[in-house]
Amino acid sequence: MTGVDDSALAAQAAAGDPEAFGELVARHAPMARRVAHAVLENEQDADDAAQEGFLSAWQAIRRYDPRRAFRPWLMQIVVNAARDLRRRRKVRTTEPLEFVAAASRDDPAHEAGALDLGDRLRAALAELPERQRLAVVLFDAEGYPQAEIAKMLGIPEGTVKSDVFHGRRALRKLLESVKEEWDD
Amino acid sequence: MTDLSPNEAMPDPELGPAIRAALAMPHDGAFVTRVRALVRQQRERGWDEVLAGWFWQGVLAASLAVVAVAAAWRVTGGVGATPRTGEESVAVQLLDGDRPGADILLASMAGDR
Repeated sequence: MTGVDDSALAAQAAAGDPEAFGELVARHAPMARRVAHAVLENEQDADDAAQEGFLSAWQAIRRYDPRRAFRPWLMQIVVNAARDLRRRRKVRTTEPLEFVAAASRDDPAHEAGALDLGDRLRAALAELPERQRLAVVLFDAEGYPQAEIAKMLGIPEGTVKSDVFHGRRALRKLLESVKEEWDD
Repeated sequence: MTDLSPNEAMPDPELGPAIRAALAMPHDGAFVTRVRALVRQQRERGWDEVLAGWFWQGVLAASLAVVAVAAAWRVTGGVGATPRTGEESVAVQLLDGDRPGADILLASMAGDR
């Protein structure tokens, strides 16, 4: 099913084919998990939310309009699932990613910088208001157009622009300071 | 990294990959396998629920059909047919000035029950 586009797979899934939907899950799982991670700041909660998002999408797949792009439709569902979960649950405090910690044990000299940057970026993202954080993640990290993000989050496009601007400013400062530390 | 402005419409080429790496989660394959299994499970459960829904609808429809047939039987067929004939026969015989026979009177009374 690698050559089939998302809309065609979604049509097959709407006709009741779980394997077609499974292919869509495989294609979009990494992004869905990252976006949920940005909202929830915790890996386990992010996985729960991403899973809930995919299952909601499967239940709603017959309502998907194939004239629209599939990815933003799915991501809107995942964002809503993550926000719902955040409201329902007291989110656990952020912990260092296990796989990065494991990698740094394997090769401490090489991974120390990456671990530091990743941790600090996540901490800086957590400092941003949720809407600002989502705007930066969806725009800069996931490459969605600002108009699409506005639809996804239910806010005006101008607000997305402003959120991206302010979010980036904070994160850029962090990146610059890390670079300076590396240069020293 | 370039200076940013609110009107800048391009993703940041340095910040974007750094955020993606920071938010990346391990074991995508295991996650996908789990969600696929849940989707299949939901689909199977969905069919069970559809069939269960049809079962109860079928039971309801059959019950209604039995009630309808019974009502029709009472009104048009079975026990009602003979007395009606009897009633007509009694009326006809009375109009004709004849005395109805015992069998016709009994059939007419049974129809009144």
